[in-house]
Amino acid sequence: MSSSIRNATRRDLLRVGSLAGGAIAGLGLADVLRMQQLCASDQAASRSDVNCIFIFILGGMPQQDMWDLKPKAPAEIRGDFQNINTNVPGIQISDVLPGCANVMDKMAILRSMTHGDSDHGRGYHIMMSGKKPGVGDFNGNQNNNHHPSIGSMVSYLGAPGVLPPYISVPNFLNSGGPAFLGPSHGPFVIDADPAAPDFSVRDITLPTDVVAQRGDLRQRALRQINAMEDRAQLAGKQVRSLDNFYEKAFNLMSSPAAKKAFDIHREPAEVREAYGMTSLGQCSLLARRLVEAGCRFVAIENGHWDTHRKNTYSLRELLCPSFDKAIPALLNDLASRGLLDKTLVVICTEFGRTPKINQLAGRDHWPNAFSIVMAGGGIRGGQVVGATDNQAAEVTDRPVTPEDMVATILYTLGIDYSKVMHTPLGRPVAVADGGTVVRELFS
Amino acid sequence: MPVSALDAYRASSCRGVAWLVSLLAGAASYATEPGDRGSIVPDVRQLVVTPDRLELAGKNRQSQLVITGVDGAGLNHDLTRQAKIVLGDQSLATLDGAFVRGVAEGQSEIRVSFGAIEKVVPLVVRDFARYPDVSFHSDILPIFSKLGCNSGGCHGKQAGQNGFKLSVFGFDPRADYDAIVNGSRGRRVFPGSTTHSLIYSKAVGASTHGGGQRMSEDSHDAELLREWLEQGTPWGRDDHVKLAKIEVWPNLRVMTPRSQQQLRVVATYSDGSFRDVTRSAVYTTNQEMIADCDPTGAIETGRVAGEAAITINYMGCVDVARVVIPLPNTQLPQRPEWLSDGHPIDQLAWAKWQQLRIAPSELCDDATFQRRVAVKTTGTLPTSEETRAFLRDDSPQKRIHAIDAALSSEDYVNYWSQRWSDILMVNSKTIGGQGANAFYGWIREQIETNRPYDQWVREIIVASGNSGRVGPVNFYRSQRTAEDAVKTISQAFLGIRMDCAQCHHHPFEKWGQDDFYGLAGYFNGMTRQALDENRELIYHPGHKSTAIPVINRPVATRTLGGQSTAADDQTDPRRELADWLASSKNPFFAKLVANRLWKHLMGRGLVEPEDDFRDTNPPTNPELLEHLAKTLVANNFDLRALMRHIMTSKTFQLSNAPNETNLDDEQTYSHYLVRRVPAEVMLDAICQVTEVPEAFPGHPIGARAIELWDNQLPSYFLDAFGRSLRESPCECGSSGEPTMAQALHLLNAPEIEAKIQSPQGRATRLANTGLDADALINEIALSTVNRPANPRELATGRAIFQESGRLQAIQDFLWVMMNSYDFLFVK
Repeated sequence: MSSSIRNATRRDLLRVGSLAGGAIAGLGLADVLRMQQLCASDQAASRSDVNCIFIFILGGMPQQDMWDLKPKAPAEIRGDFQNINTNVPGIQISDVLPGCANVMDKMAILRSMTHGDSDHGRGYHIMMSGKKPGVGDFNGNQNNNHHPSIGSMVSYLGAPGVLPPYISVPNFLNSGGPAFLGPSHGPFVIDADPAAPDFSVRDITLPTDVVAQRGDLRQRALRQINAMEDRAQLAGKQVRSLDNFYEKAFNLMSSPAAKKAFDIHREPAEVREAYGMTSLGQCSLLARRLVEAGCRFVAIENGHWDTHRKNTYSLRELLCPSFDKAIPALLNDLASRGLLDKTLVVICTEFGRTPKINQLAGRDHWPNAFSIVMAGGGIRGGQVVGATDNQAAEVTDRPVTPEDMVATILYTLGIDYSKVMHTPLGRPVAVADGGTVVRELFS
Repeated sequence: MPVSALDAYRASSCRGVAWLVSLLAGAASYATEPGDRGSIVPDVRQLVVTPDRLELAGKNRQSQLVITGVDGAGLNHDLTRQAKIVLGDQSLATLDGAFVRGVAEGQSEIRVSFGAIEKVVPLVVRDFARYPDVSFHSDILPIFSKLGCNSGGCHGKQAGQNGFKLSVFGFDPRADYDAIVNGSRGRRVFPGSTTHSLIYSKAVGASTHGGGQRMSEDSHDAELLREWLEQGTPWGRDDHVKLAKIEVWPNLRVMTPRSQQQLRVVATYSDGSFRDVTRSAVYTTNQEMIADCDPTGAIETGRVAGEAAITINYMGCVDVARVVIPLPNTQLPQRPEWLSDGHPIDQLAWAKWQQLRIAPSELCDDATFQRRVAVKTTGTLPTSEETRAFLRDDSPQKRIHAIDAALSSEDYVNYWSQRWSDILMVNSKTIGGQGANAFYGWIREQIETNRPYDQWVREIIVASGNSGRVGPVNFYRSQRTAEDAVKTISQAFLGIRMDCAQCHHHPFEKWGQDDFYGLAGYFNGMTRQALDENRELIYHPGHKSTAIPVINRPVATRTLGGQSTAADDQTDPRRELADWLASSKNPFFAKLVANRLWKHLMGRGLVEPEDDFRDTNPPTNPELLEHLAKTLVANNFDLRALMRHIMTSKTFQLSNAPNETNLDDEQTYSHYLVRRVPAEVMLDAICQVTEVPEAFPGHPIGARAIELWDNQLPSYFLDAFGRSLRESPCECGSSGEPTMAQALHLLNAPEIEAKIQSPQGRATRLANTGLDADALINEIALSTVNRPANPRELATGRAIFQESGRLQAIQDFLWVMMNSYDFLFVK
């Protein structure tokens, strides 16, 4: 065995494994087996029974007002918020998040996220796919993905279940598309706000004017009409694919547990109140129900965080109260149901906000250093990863890239993030594009 | 191998003679059973060794021999791995199977034998002392591209890898040369010493390398790299000999399942010298199941019959070896009677089926034909009355009449105006409602008057004026930069994807940055003046020169493979571009649109994806594509005439029901390919069969989905069923792929249920007629799946009528038929 193999890291080996044939004639079978073992032992630490709730704070979450305060900085940087103690000695967060401070032991703050693109549309894409988009401005464009979103990759790489593997609520997330993986790996979109009194998920139950008995009759008849012989006659991939979705739809419709998962009205009033009767609160509660029933990836969008003006007022009065109610409620609820260990919660955003407060008392876009939060799914709570300088402007310790974040999420979900996908043009695209797992989170 | 099996093999090979000889002067190697390979001893009468004389000189120091046995029936067998090979003078060369490496100068011979037959190949090894000049930019850089060193995942990425950065796919050779020769304090190269040069020791795996070993020491690539270091790492002269082409032999083989065929690849240089690069080329198959090729150039076929193309790349040059594997143990298909009609499409399709020994399916019945023509041409289901009339009609010309009626209908104009609006990205979000409306109106006029395709494309390319009045000007409102215009125009009208070439020369593709920015020069300097918030004045005041960004090198404005522009800074150069682009002589222009129409009507492009033409993505039936393009040109780019030509072929009229021989065939159109009804067409179909129209905002009740010009009108149905996003010229934007949301919507949507239960709808109307259950079942089948109910539908329908009241039974059976695959798919 050559020395290069003996010294190789797991990533190197994976890279070798993905080479287009020929150039590695020097590798013996033993080397290949050794590589596979290395990969297997690493993957064993991650678990395929972990699901993910991915909360996207749209607009840009201000790191220095929420997770990474700089009390010693000058007033125009420091802002109006104070550090408070959390339930973990030595870790302080903003006084606008007293609820989160009480569940700090369940959360890990990553203070050293960085990517360098200050455009909303592009930042969204980067943070939901781990990859920079191509050229062009596509703010507000629906399904802007040049690369598959994390949820689509989970759908593509993970094992199927009764529920759709990737669900988004309360709308399609603009960077949550499947790109070249195709529409069957797009999210199942719940295009309604679960906080609305008349909330329901469309099309998963019979229309109200069709009683169950009649529905059964129709389904029986349909199965006869679309029976196997015809499928063979129709011989085509699309027919088989729709047939597969019809089966899944029937399963979903006939599984009371799966259907119930979508029905937030079954939650006791006090639980709903605990999350807060807000969009974020009820989306989080619905997400808990969905991952509990086996959905692998629920993406939630929560908007209006682009505080170019009146930053303090917006955060204190409009944005943080519902956030600070929903997040602790979610983590506590998951923990009390024994689900926290099996549910990764990610609180993500496009980028942070400028260190210096602008003339409109707001903060602008800042992608060089910002904070996100991860909890559950085997992540050790009560820790901070990375650090920024005295203005929360630049990363001074342990930079974490969007690629690393994607690798970490997929790893936590027990999905092989070293894989390579191919575009229809045949261009190889690495799942996590060189990202590595943020190991500290698990130690 | 037991004697009886051998006898059986001989017997079967005799049966095979007739078709093989008629097929081509190709060759076949045989295996009798899956898994049995290479162990048969054919009855060889003659031995052919390629090349028949071996000269190892200069850079050509290694060479592959391909050994072919010709049997008594004139069939060829690849014996490269079975023949015995002996070197006359073992001090001159070494052997690795049939691969010869020169070692010292001199003359000798190679004796190749198989059984009692021997062939002698003279061997000359010369010019061994001095290796010819090696050049960085034409010899070394391509090695890095081939090995992936400068790919986006490795040293080619923005930040480089472990301190060593190369330009992605070598777009900036000077910077790469500098990085290698001068970077890292000179540790990467040590002229004269390979072992001290990191560039070599890391690549061969002698020093620790994150990317692992990239090449073996005895490879051509390693040899070139060693020589380059020993020659003192020269940049190379600009007139350095360049690689001119590569050629593979054999380039077409008829093979059997589970057999092998050795390839030989020879590179020819600008000075006429050549070199065997069999072991340095990269082999890629387009059909792994059918045939794969290993890095030594040995093709191995799988268990499945079919066709595969092995693409061979070496330093940016490409050649293709095609492999045909007929179904084993099947007879030549019986010649269908309808071939005597003499339709050229059928003749060309038949040639392919014969080659693969696939029998085409039967012709489809009248009802299937009528529905197929209607949906594909007009985006509209036939009504039950139309179906009854068509089935009653006993004119022998009725299919042709149906085609002509469809092509001259208003719905043809509706449907195809919308399809072209998809391709041309008529998107109100990017170009505004007024712009989208003007552009759509203009497109509609072209379709309505059936204006020759080349003329209206030309008008788009040169479009100038007020976007509120001049429809095609809006094309340049979504293509706001010269780069975007290049990408969209080359993909939409030529089927050439230039995206990769914007940033680098893709190692496996033909077009590079010079080509990309050469085209971009035609759009550079275009002027856009806002007239108000909805309209712009767009024109091109005159040619402006272009440079490649980052390396800032000026590039001449020119067409792909053409001359530099003659336009000056007072002349709009786009006219010149349009003349070249939309010319009948442009090899891509007619082929792309022919392929689009073919795909639309037949379910799969001859080139797939339909707008991705390149050497490495060959058509499945090149002669057929050529024929379609020629027909289009001969008919003055009349799109309707080409559609008529395709639909009048019997190939279009085949049943989707497969037979034993074509069950797995997805490539040769031997049975019709089933496709889902597209989004807009399906929504209209639901409205039509329920007799309850959709209400689109801002449109009168009764407006149909295929008439919409604005793709942004809110519609859950159209979104869920994948209407075109109109954000790229690729038709993949409108997806026919089924999803879970579609299945749920069809099963449960209250909107659809409301149509079914509407008091104004068909179900209620039928309930109020005097028709009995069987007549109602038939009527519903006729209006949904456009044929009388089949026995199973009749039985199922009767059961429903027995269980429920009349109106409810009608509604339920209608629901069932609207969820049936015969409704949702065109077959």
